[in-house]
Amino acid sequence: MDALLTSAVAGLTAGGTYALLGVCAVFTYRLVSVVNFTGAAIGTAGTFALIALTEAGYPTWPSVLAGILVGAFVGVAIGYVMTRWFAESSASTKAAVTVALLVGLIAVGLRLTGGQHPHVMPELFPGSAFRMAGVEVTFASVLTIGLAVLFTVLSDLFLNRTGVGLHLRALSDRPMAAELLGVKVQLLSLLVWGLTGAFTTFALMIIAPQRSPNFMTLSLLVVPALAAALVGLFRSFWLTLAGGILLGVIEGMASTVDSISQYRSAIPFLVVLAVLLWSQREARWDDAR
Amino acid sequence: MGVSNMTWKSSLLAASLAALGLGAMAGGASAAGPTCSGGAIKVGAVSTITGPADFSEVPKATQAAFDAVNAAGGINGCKIDYTIADDKADPAVAAQAARDLIDNKEAVALVGSASLLDCAVNGATYARKDIRSIQGLGVDAACFSSPNIAPVNVGPFTLTTAVGYYATNVLKAKKLCAFFIIIGGTQEAYKKGIEDWEKISGQKIHLLDLTLPFQGDLTPYVIKARDAGCDTVLTNQVEPQVVQLIKTVDAQKITGINWLFLAPGYTEQVAKALADSPQPIYAGTEWEPYTETDSAANAEWVADMKKANRPLTAFSQGGYLAAQMFLKVVGGIDGEVTRDSVNAALLKMQPISNPLAGSPYVFGEAKTHSPMRATKVMKLDKGKWTVETADWVHLPDTN
Repeated sequence: MDALLTSAVAGLTAGGTYALLGVCAVFTYRLVSVVNFTGAAIGTAGTFALIALTEAGYPTWPSVLAGILVGAFVGVAIGYVMTRWFAESSASTKAAVTVALLVGLIAVGLRLTGGQHPHVMPELFPGSAFRMAGVEVTFASVLTIGLAVLFTVLSDLFLNRTGVGLHLRALSDRPMAAELLGVKVQLLSLLVWGLTGAFTTFALMIIAPQRSPNFMTLSLLVVPALAAALVGLFRSFWLTLAGGILLGVIEGMASTVDSISQYRSAIPFLVVLAVLLWSQREARWDDAR
Repeated sequence: MGVSNMTWKSSLLAASLAALGLGAMAGGASAAGPTCSGGAIKVGAVSTITGPADFSEVPKATQAAFDAVNAAGGINGCKIDYTIADDKADPAVAAQAARDLIDNKEAVALVGSASLLDCAVNGATYARKDIRSIQGLGVDAACFSSPNIAPVNVGPFTLTTAVGYYATNVLKAKKLCAFFIIIGGTQEAYKKGIEDWEKISGQKIHLLDLTLPFQGDLTPYVIKARDAGCDTVLTNQVEPQVVQLIKTVDAQKITGINWLFLAPGYTEQVAKALADSPQPIYAGTEWEPYTETDSAANAEWVADMKKANRPLTAFSQGGYLAAQMFLKVVGGIDGEVTRDSVNAALLKMQPISNPLAGSPYVFGEAKTHSPMRATKVMKLDKGKWTVETADWVHLPDTN
């Protein structure tokens, strides 16, 4: 039991990461209706800009700022592609396009960053916050979970209580109609892409030191993040938050049980499958009525 | 008198010259050395150059070694015509590349290959076509279990045993734990590596975990190692994961465990990224530590690489070593260098020593080949790798 609790706490770090990136994915989906597979890759690009700058000897915090700007820029660039050419495409087409973009980003990123060679990743928030069940919970983990919660609260408020939020939701549901009503569609969309780009970059800067520091593994964090988003059915921020943390905790616990442990990386897929089956069941139910 | 004397003298001279000529001819006949039709010996390599990994340093070093020999006139006048084929880590491309080298380029042997999948994909082809590969860097398990492939590196599986052997003998490990990332069909080979260690050391592995993820958070694993009471942890992680693991260990404030890695962990990037870590970090090498550029064992390799303007990396040692072995073997062939004569020479060759490696290299008739069984252990000290074992750690035989 103790071992299980310990490993559950050990999974919190991963859980916070999934939750934070998951909430970002939901945010993007609700505002520009794109299931964005490039989310983590955008953040990774910004993070590697930070690494390049600090490795070149520039001071940390200005480099962080520059990295965030790079992340925002990459986000806007991808957003431009999506809004310019695929605004009226179906959700599945858009998702496929982002998958293609992800593959491209990873290929280019790996080349530019020297492939599998590790880099010196500046730790923005070093040290551990507290000890729980024999596990050091790092500042980075606490901050990740904290940011995920904060982003959840803010997104919820923003979308449901502000005029801009309303516009953005209109934009997501009926871009053409929104445009006719005088909503600046393209500008608002690009703003969303830029903001989420900046935010995921900052998130990944916190997460990266604890992760395998190469472009591909960081970019692929999007898979469990999208699994978390699916728990929230790409609608609910709170369910996504809970889903992400739960996913990390389950993964952590799985690593103590040898027979399950080797299938550990399949857990996000199992969760996706379970959620899809569940939501399909609902759909069938609705159809039958 | 004078004339006859002259005649006598000149005939003596002629006779002795003739004798000398005969002698030279006789000497020539007994050690004709390798010959080649067309003035070239064709050699190839199948390597992963583009794709998920880049092993091009290996065959490029082989190329540099051959270039040096060619510039000096070749072996007995035969230049080496070397072709490097990129398999792009794609099985179909790898198979095609091998067929091209064997059938169209008519390579007599493969030298200095380094690929994610050449051995697994082409091992059977090499056996069927009866061509042998002096692999510059054996990566996958098939490189160490094919009759026609013999790598010049120790390889991750034997290195697992060797580094474990060092842990028990020198670090006095009592509770050795091993965590492996299992990719493809490597599980049995790693298990065998640990079993061999158990036979040699007489100890039992304290904890064996074959589920280390390629990506994902490692916190649960380092906690597992700590709570199991491991005093030494051995893993097969590659560069970025090595850094991630140690960062996670530091974040968890774990002390008192020795962290042992295989050759992929021994890089300058790892050293730099982990310069601040207080953990005792060790790595086993495949060859003479490449960072020791002043060592006598590295001298020839360093000189040739500098001449060819190639970087001094561990990979380039492998390619260079493979070339040296091939040159030695071909140098001992009498007559035409063909695939058959190279095969015959490899089969009956005596072990060849080279200062770059701790074990002599031999091909021979065995069904599987893993001739290299020695490592040097490096320790990370403030951002620099230092040699922990000045002498080679030789792995005793398990049988």
